[in-house]
Amino acid sequence: MGIVNRTPDSFFRPGLTWDEPAAMARVDEVIAAGADIVDVGGIPAAPGAVVDVAEEIRRTAGFVGAIRARYPDVVISVDTWRHETGRAVCEAGADLLNDSWGGFDVRLADVAAEFGAGLVCAHAGRQQPRTRPFRVAYPDVMADVLDQTTRLADRAVAVGVQPERIVIDAAHDFGKNTWHSLEVTRRLAEMTETGWPVLVSLSNKDFVGETLNLPPEQRLPGTLAATSVCAWLGARIFRVHQVTESRQVVDMVAAIRGDRPPARAVRGLA
Amino acid sequence: MITSAAVCPAPPLLARELTGADPVAPELRQACLQATAALLAGVPDIVAVVGVAAETGVWPPDGRLDLTAYGPGLGGLSAGPPVPLGLGLGARLLDQVGYSGRRQLQSVGEQEPAATCAALGVQLASMAARVALLLMADGSARRGVRAPGYLDERSVPFDAAVESAIRAGDLPALLALDPVLAHELMATGRAGWQVLAGAMNGLRPASEITYCDDPFGVAYLVATLRPRG
Repeated sequence: MGIVNRTPDSFFRPGLTWDEPAAMARVDEVIAAGADIVDVGGIPAAPGAVVDVAEEIRRTAGFVGAIRARYPDVVISVDTWRHETGRAVCEAGADLLNDSWGGFDVRLADVAAEFGAGLVCAHAGRQQPRTRPFRVAYPDVMADVLDQTTRLADRAVAVGVQPERIVIDAAHDFGKNTWHSLEVTRRLAEMTETGWPVLVSLSNKDFVGETLNLPPEQRLPGTLAATSVCAWLGARIFRVHQVTESRQVVDMVAAIRGDRPPARAVRGLA
Repeated sequence: MITSAAVCPAPPLLARELTGADPVAPELRQACLQATAALLAGVPDIVAVVGVAAETGVWPPDGRLDLTAYGPGLGGLSAGPPVPLGLGLGARLLDQVGYSGRRQLQSVGEQEPAATCAALGVQLASMAARVALLLMADGSARRGVRAPGYLDERSVPFDAAVESAIRAGDLPALLALDPVLAHELMATGRAGWQVLAGAMNGLRPASEITYCDDPFGVAYLVATLRPRG
């Protein structure tokens, strides 16, 4: 899942794909690099300038339609918590609603059901959208992640979302300090054991930065290390900025697990 | 009556284990330890640790910080029953300076009105002839765009008013802090400061502020207070 932000102020390479031509060039790039899914976002996760529903739709819906026209078969995801935006992007051709803020707007699941779209059920630790964690504490963070994500998934099924289109996400950094994000990475198998497909969004995040004491633009190796652990523990979707590198890591781990044959094996075999 | 008081902030990162290899805020920890040590110089009969929490209540005196809630995987469960953050950090400070005398761990509900907080302070002050008060309280968490709560420009004058009241020993001024504004500014210490004002009511203490900064967008204040004369 390649990230394409329609924002001027996201934390990683801010403003890179704010203009639509640049954003479409980015879509071309991530698909060519091996992304199976494009994730379009109109609002940064961090607090900052207000982006209301109308502006979020303006940033995302038309662009989703343009991607759909250019790539009839690519899976288009939109990162939003609002059902109004969900409706607009589904009408424009989106396939998946990436609800990173953990069911804050319960009507988003209704929209997914209505359009036959997929839904990401994430754990945001009961945080309000666009807020930073402040002294968050959990008796057992993974127990909370499992409880919240499976509850959201069950609720989505109950309102009519097709079960095979539901994905769960621990939402690293959302409502979590670095210790919490490391713990959910370490224990990710507990999520994959639920049977729901697991998405991880690790890319260049603060838990990587704090662990290695590095700024966003130097977090790729740490991101890839976390990616490989999550792949080994059974994660299925990886939301990333650097698609080429991430695809190689995921393919390599899949081969180590025995899920994917090597691309070409002749060594010692000739 | 209150024979000495100390104010320290209560961020989880006061626990050295939680900040990883980098001590992050050694000056802050040192200031808190010194203020706690100074608190005990007057040989109190009891130390009342006051921390802001969801509800007002008295916690087991052997209560300790639940480190695993903030740092899963760190291991090393502490000895006593888990208590709210501020009380756990306060108890830890007392342990670190070697205090083994009587202590009361008192939480004050973050929503309590000023009068209730002040009355709680009066009650704590009357527990013994010589009561030392260790207050764990924080200013606004909205002091910049990188702050936990993002920037709210009202945070600066709000925290400045608290600082100036404590610096001047003008504790009744703390009773005028607006609970709604404090909540909006994520100034979690408001109820605690009002307990302090009640506990030292009429004493006009001499104070010394040894740390006053916001390295992570949250206002931290370390102070010691002693009644005059």
